[in-house]
Amino acid sequence: MAKFIFGASIAAALSIASWSGPVTAQGTLRVALGTTLTQLDPALTTIGDEYVYVHLLFNGLSKINPDMTVSPDLAESWTASEDLKTWTFKLRSGVKFHHGKTLDADDVIATIQRILDPKTGSRARTNLSMVESVDAVDPLTVRFKLSVSYAGFADIFADRQTRIVPKDRIDELSKTPVGTGPFVFKSWSPGDRLELTKNPDYFNKGLPKLDAVTLRIIPESAARLAALESGAIDILWSMPYESVDKVKANPNLRADSVATPTWDGVILNNAIPPFNDVRVRKALALTVDKAAIVELALFGQGDPTFSPIPPSHPYFNKKLKFNPPNIEQAKKLLAEAGYPNGFDVAMQVPQEREQRVRVGVAVRDMAKAAGIRIEVQRVPFASYTANVAGKAPMYVDGYFARPTVDTAVYPFYHSGGSWNNQLWLYKEKRVDELLDAARKTNDDKLRAELFGTFQELVEETVPSIIAYSAAHVNGVSKKVEGFRSTPMQWLELAPVSIKP
Amino acid sequence: MPLQLKAGLLITALIIGLSVLAPWIAPHPWDTISMRTRFLPPNSIYWLGTDEYGRDVLSRLLMGGRLSLMMGVSATLVSLVIGVPMGLAAGYFGGWIEEGLMRLADVMMAIPPIMLGLLVLAVTPPALWKTAVAVGFVYIPPIARLTRSVTLTLAGEDFVQAARARAESPTYILFREILPNAWPPLIVEASLRVTYAILLGSALSFLGLGAQPPSSDWGLMIAEARSFLDRAPWLALAPGFAMCALVIGINLIGDGARERLDPRLKARVGKSV
Amino acid sequence: MTAFIVRRLAFVVLVLTAVSMLVFTITSLLPANVAYLILGSFAPPEQVKALELKLGLTDPIWQQYIRWATGFLSGDLGESPLLKRPIAPMLWEAVSRSLMLTGFSFVLIALIGIGLGLLAALRHGRTLDHGISVATYLGIAVPEFFWSIIVIIVFASWLGWLPASGYEPMSEGVWVWFKHLIAPTMTLVFGHLAHVSRLTRSSMIEVMQSPYVNAARAKGLPERVVVMRHALRNALLPTITVLALDFGRLMGGIVVVETVFAYPGLGRLVVFSIQNRDLPTLQAAILVVAAIYAFANLIADLLYAWLNPKIRFGVHVN
Repeated sequence: MAKFIFGASIAAALSIASWSGPVTAQGTLRVALGTTLTQLDPALTTIGDEYVYVHLLFNGLSKINPDMTVSPDLAESWTASEDLKTWTFKLRSGVKFHHGKTLDADDVIATIQRILDPKTGSRARTNLSMVESVDAVDPLTVRFKLSVSYAGFADIFADRQTRIVPKDRIDELSKTPVGTGPFVFKSWSPGDRLELTKNPDYFNKGLPKLDAVTLRIIPESAARLAALESGAIDILWSMPYESVDKVKANPNLRADSVATPTWDGVILNNAIPPFNDVRVRKALALTVDKAAIVELALFGQGDPTFSPIPPSHPYFNKKLKFNPPNIEQAKKLLAEAGYPNGFDVAMQVPQEREQRVRVGVAVRDMAKAAGIRIEVQRVPFASYTANVAGKAPMYVDGYFARPTVDTAVYPFYHSGGSWNNQLWLYKEKRVDELLDAARKTNDDKLRAELFGTFQELVEETVPSIIAYSAAHVNGVSKKVEGFRSTPMQWLELAPVSIKP
Repeated sequence: MPLQLKAGLLITALIIGLSVLAPWIAPHPWDTISMRTRFLPPNSIYWLGTDEYGRDVLSRLLMGGRLSLMMGVSATLVSLVIGVPMGLAAGYFGGWIEEGLMRLADVMMAIPPIMLGLLVLAVTPPALWKTAVAVGFVYIPPIARLTRSVTLTLAGEDFVQAARARAESPTYILFREILPNAWPPLIVEASLRVTYAILLGSALSFLGLGAQPPSSDWGLMIAEARSFLDRAPWLALAPGFAMCALVIGINLIGDGARERLDPRLKARVGKSV
Repeated sequence: MTAFIVRRLAFVVLVLTAVSMLVFTITSLLPANVAYLILGSFAPPEQVKALELKLGLTDPIWQQYIRWATGFLSGDLGESPLLKRPIAPMLWEAVSRSLMLTGFSFVLIALIGIGLGLLAALRHGRTLDHGISVATYLGIAVPEFFWSIIVIIVFASWLGWLPASGYEPMSEGVWVWFKHLIAPTMTLVFGHLAHVSRLTRSSMIEVMQSPYVNAARAKGLPERVVVMRHALRNALLPTITVLALDFGRLMGGIVVVETVFAYPGLGRLVVFSIQNRDLPTLQAAILVVAAIYAFANLIADLLYAWLNPKIRFGVHVN
């Protein structure tokens, strides 16, 4: 409790400072996000804006470094049995939650069991579905038993929803969240701002350097950019691609860009007409010029890709080619499939995600040439789960970077994958076998080969059209020091400081 | 003819003419993406420049004018078709019919138009014709109220009393005697309503619930142009000014016509509009 | 007069009841599933069914309505399934912010609108009159969303005088708080000036030509006294009625302005809850807007009745 009071007194000092002095309290970093958070409970978060918050307040057993390698975080080390079915994690000792409790094995177990409980409704449940049991060997050692061999198990704990929460505060997570991270929750006014203060007991000594962080919600993209330009905010998270050039031209700002595995694409429902016919899916793919889509939707800030594996990844299949559109061939395939005069179809795009709207508009125009007449419908992203995913024949969507290739691919392409059953309902035995094989080996060369073949198969059977891997760009004030964008698209603010 | 009426007619006729002829006079295709011509400022080939997809802004503007006009006019027709009979019935029969109809109108008017529009549109997948219906629906009450007050005035006139004395049917009296005489103020009001409808419709498009891309509805064009205000201000300015011109033109006609109307009628009707 | 007020007040209550039914019906048609909102999209179907049953979502709509309405009347607005927090405090915060914005705008609209109308009337038919009427025409014709974009570009991007958007509580400093109100207020004021100034102008012109003002002039009173004491006072009566109506209109106008300026008020709450299918919040928010709107209209009615006693005696004027 003493810690909590200390945190509160910092907050009080800060607000006094802002009363008398300039708007910016000393060492407060202000970040703009575009969408309001609907969840403060890390296990239930679903959108990028929420992940930014999660990463500032919570830690996982492992963490992903900016170069996409995985290293220990709340765990000090881990070991796996020969068959990759038993995993033992040794926890870092003396880590304190923001409310003063010391981290132990029971917190980890409570966190995991909660995610595994279907009643919680966490997205991460499917990533952990191979967990058979979890128990404490001693207060600082946790052991997992898996139902299948799983080489990348430790990496999963770097993901957003699997961050460790304190056992005694689980019920309050959605209102007064408590974690172990570099920053402490101070206040949240929905739709407006989230205020965080420094965690003086952060286990990485000397960090964070900042006194406080304010996450501001500014839905209007022009307003977000103007706020960065006027100095009202210091970091514009995931800035609009069309403004990158403008920010670069501003002497006070920089655009910090990094390649990511985050992708957007046209989701086709493989279970209902017209896209249950592989010829129709292929015909559509033949009309699409992915390089042009990167220009139109991302203003060049990204690269065409075949699957969620990005061109920047070692597993990317460099032998495959992006062929230019072939309208004749597309028309032929359509005729074979019984659509000699093409067909009409509606395509939903999420109205709040401008680049995905542009993907939709571009694809509509490209498909028109082959006689596929698409009607674009902007709908609220919030209605996707209820009305679009798994129901509409085609729509534009996209997914954030995942910690490993397996978690980025398996749930989407394996016939038993959770996302597969929500998105495109794709069933291909050869792909199932490849993905299962890749889970069972730690041999990097073999995995690269397996995923290379997987990409060929996906090009051949077109479950959907993954258009590109998008870059992640933050607009950053030059007053901010020590900041680097990361491929996971959350913000590493612990080492950041700000010049007055 | 007063100057403002002339100016209004000129502006409006020009915009209507250009919009109607758009498919024939538009210099370029309005919806074809062209990678090589993106973000061109106004020049001799693309008079109003090009947009983020390399599409000609002038051609889009012309095609969009059709949409805006059609939306405004059909929305107003929806309000007239439902609102005028409501008002006639309320004004002529009085009593519980009037109470019922007018209180219904009050209920609808108790929600700000834009929110009522948002609510109605959120129920179904978006489409421009739905926006027109929603906007028309929202603007039924003012039409009904105006019709009622005109009917009240006319019902006291000698020719209506005479028709009553001849024991004509209410339908005959309402549609043959009262309606023809009620048209002038109604038409003026309706023309002004077109501008309200265009503005509300484009605001709904702007909020994402109206026209859908790649449509070149002016509200949608402005909404899309927001991201490119610094790089390509012409994208927002062209449809913005076009919409201002259209609204001003129609307003000038409406006001000019209103001033020429029977001042006595104007005095009685004006208040309830 | 008292009887009239009581009757009108009772009527407002009736209207609001009807509005609540209308809103409840429309929102229950929205393609959304509150149970999914609460449980997340990965909840198993059996659990969704169980929660639906528990929340009474499977009951007939009139039962759901009665339950909701009783809760509302007893001050229990429920909890937002999306944000997982009680609606009431969130709503009142939004309302108070929106009232700040509309309050400011309203005062400015009244002052500037009457001022411009007066000026135009006194310079009737001259350049200044035409200038003012062109400017107010623009106010009507420029859509709010276009005008707000221009304000952001000019005052935030180019000149850097004002913050582009957002809201700061007064605890951050009065000036900071105030600065965030200026841009949205400018947008609202510009869009709503025309009504007031045009009405003031026309009634002022009418009054200035009345025998009553001529008599005052004939008495040899200075023109300034004639205008301010005699003419303006009478000419303002219809303007005041329109002003009350305008307050209601402002509540509608804030939807666009709050969205563009990211001002966390009632309008944005409505748009947010529509987009995110947060039905309980939406129902409560719209009802509050309707209440404010209805009371503004009621005040307009009362003022009008008070100024024109004829009206009180019945609906049929002739």
